[in-house]
Amino acid sequence: MPSPTRTKPRSAARRQEARAGWLFAGPWLVSLVLLTALPMLATAAMSLTNLGIVDWPDFTGLTNYDLILTEDPSFWTALHNTAVYTAVSVPLRLMLAFGLALLLHSGLRGVAVYQTLFYLPSLVPPVAATVVFMLLLTPGAGPVNVMLSWVGVPAPDWVRDPAWALWTLVLLSLWPLGVEALVFLAALREVPAEVQDAARLDTRRPWERMLYITLPLISPAILFNLVIGVINSFQVFAQAMVIGGTTGNPSESTLMYLVLIYRMAFRYFSLGYAAALSVILLAILGLVTWAIFRLSRRWVHYEGGQR
Amino acid sequence: MRSNRVSNRGAVGLSRRGFLGATVIGGAFGGSRLWAQAPVPLTFWVPGGSDVVCRLQNDLAADFAAMQTAAVVDTVSCIGNVEDFIQSFLAAIAAGNPPSASIVWETPVALGARGALLPIDGYLASSERAGLADWPEGLLASCRWNGQTFGVPVVAGSYGVFYNQEMFEAAGLPSDRASFPKTWDEMRRLSKEFTRWDGDYLERAGFLPTLNWATVPIWAALNGAQIYDAENNRVALNDERIVEMLAFGLDWINEEYKGDLNAIDRSGSFREPYPSGAGLPPAFPEGRQAGIESGSWLMGDLNNAGNLTVERWNVAPYAVGPSGSASVSGTWPNWLVIPKGSNDPDAAWSYIEFLSTDGVRKWFANVPETPGNINAQVDLPTAVVESRGAEFAADVLEFFRGQSAVATPMWNVPIQGFLNDQIDLVLTRVYAKEATPQAALAEAQANCEAELSRVMAELQ
Repeated sequence: MPSPTRTKPRSAARRQEARAGWLFAGPWLVSLVLLTALPMLATAAMSLTNLGIVDWPDFTGLTNYDLILTEDPSFWTALHNTAVYTAVSVPLRLMLAFGLALLLHSGLRGVAVYQTLFYLPSLVPPVAATVVFMLLLTPGAGPVNVMLSWVGVPAPDWVRDPAWALWTLVLLSLWPLGVEALVFLAALREVPAEVQDAARLDTRRPWERMLYITLPLISPAILFNLVIGVINSFQVFAQAMVIGGTTGNPSESTLMYLVLIYRMAFRYFSLGYAAALSVILLAILGLVTWAIFRLSRRWVHYEGGQR
Repeated sequence: MRSNRVSNRGAVGLSRRGFLGATVIGGAFGGSRLWAQAPVPLTFWVPGGSDVVCRLQNDLAADFAAMQTAAVVDTVSCIGNVEDFIQSFLAAIAAGNPPSASIVWETPVALGARGALLPIDGYLASSERAGLADWPEGLLASCRWNGQTFGVPVVAGSYGVFYNQEMFEAAGLPSDRASFPKTWDEMRRLSKEFTRWDGDYLERAGFLPTLNWATVPIWAALNGAQIYDAENNRVALNDERIVEMLAFGLDWINEEYKGDLNAIDRSGSFREPYPSGAGLPPAFPEGRQAGIESGSWLMGDLNNAGNLTVERWNVAPYAVGPSGSASVSGTWPNWLVIPKGSNDPDAAWSYIEFLSTDGVRKWFANVPETPGNINAQVDLPTAVVESRGAEFAADVLEFFRGQSAVATPMWNVPIQGFLNDQIDLVLTRVYAKEATPQAALAEAQANCEAELSRVMAELQ
């Protein structure tokens, strides 16, 4: 006799539903494989060769990695610059974006207009924005330095002084905050009203409500913006290229990791070497992202206590 | 008797006689254009998207089509900026669908050594108007690697020193070319006559030593050295004469320009006769700089500079360094190449031959870059004729063609991009006082040796 616990065969309706699911997900899966997974595998394979431009490469094993880690000072310079840029710009962006979101959530009249205005910088092409900023920061005649001189602040040479150039890039990164602000705003709007009312009864201090109620409730949004911010910061390219070119002028202070990859591939024509740099970047980002998610268990609170 | 039968499907059928008749008629026209082979379609890429250049190249393609029927340039693609172009170009070659021919702004040595270009020695050997003997040796060096030639420098703006005759005469100095300083010491002494500071603002400048990586090979050669020894495939950045050249420049900046390049840059665009990256206007056209090194293209650009106040300018050869013996020049070519995988190299070469002999006439009229081919005939640069007259225009044209003949070998290194970046880094570090010329050049030399070894290992 058949076991009473044996499951019934899938119904036709279920099978049809599954087929529809695969059908709808199909294009995305195909593009994932063709446009993401396969290129990643190809890059990893290229990194083990001496691929130049067109000639069939020879397998060189881990030679590229050895050269990068032991004989290429530009690698460490670019990694240092990128790490500093990320470590400073990401927290600043989170704080400023959160501040913007709080303003937008405060019930101001015409908030939709402000939302649009705050989002617009995100739509400006980074090259155009960087050129405009360079004009604003022109030493001597630029509006920023002129205004600083009015208040007696000595104006730095924003893009030509190695001590300032990297911080100028950080400054540029703080302009387009629209995306992060909208994510925070959406999270703030999801904070249940009854929870806020109960918190007002418990304490009159706004900062306590913020610290113990609001921030924990929007912590998933903070985590999202943090991870995306770190990944994007490690991949800063256009702004660094406009300011410092492929040499990271002045004095390699603006040499960013992605500029280094570009330089190796399209200026020095060493695609295998550039591929190895890309794989190392993937490993670094994977490690950093894993560390963030690991640490997030302590401070990110999901609805229903799920993780 | 021929009969035309209409089939059930409406087709018009021919009898056997009719078929034979048609064949005879067709054979009678066998040699006519009705039966001629279609022209080979060529695609041609151009880096840089300026409207002037793009229109010019399309005009040249039309001229080529009018001259012959064997090939036609179907498509002239003007591709974005330099970064976009090189990515697209390399990707197309790697994918096997490159353009038939292309202008490139990367040295053919670097691309050809890596197998991206077809050697054209066979074409050069058989060409009547664009053969080996028709190109200056110094220019062609930028296209030759390992005994093969991978392109031709269709135009190669040759360098000279543009100087402001009005400033010379106002200072009571002769302004003819023959009186121009012949040595770096003379030039430096003369420069002090012109340079004027107002606090930290540079009101007026005389001359500057090289501050641009592109002209360092020229200044090295003026002091008797070569950046790269092509015969032995060896970079020689740490040559004591190059150290001397850089030390001379640093001393010059320290003495005359307060040792502060940033102060110079804050006061205007003195390094190049074009607006600076910060949007400051160029000093030479404004009449605030006695002289500046630049290429022949400046002849046309000067008149396009909106703030031109210099009415009378001239050009002179470079002065010679303390360890040099003769004045030399340099070039910045546009190269014509045939990429690997070109659909028809023979037809592509015919277009290259046309551009470098006949086409360059219209090219020069629009953008006055000195033709590379010594036999190419060009008209006087229109902008100079209009502003200074035909006699002066003829004189400067002859001057720049003469400069091409004494051009030092440049752009001939398989690691050209790396070398250029290292030179740029040396200049930045030395003039920012982060390193002595000797230390900076020694480090750059070591880096270049390591990179050259790595690349040579890749190429074997």
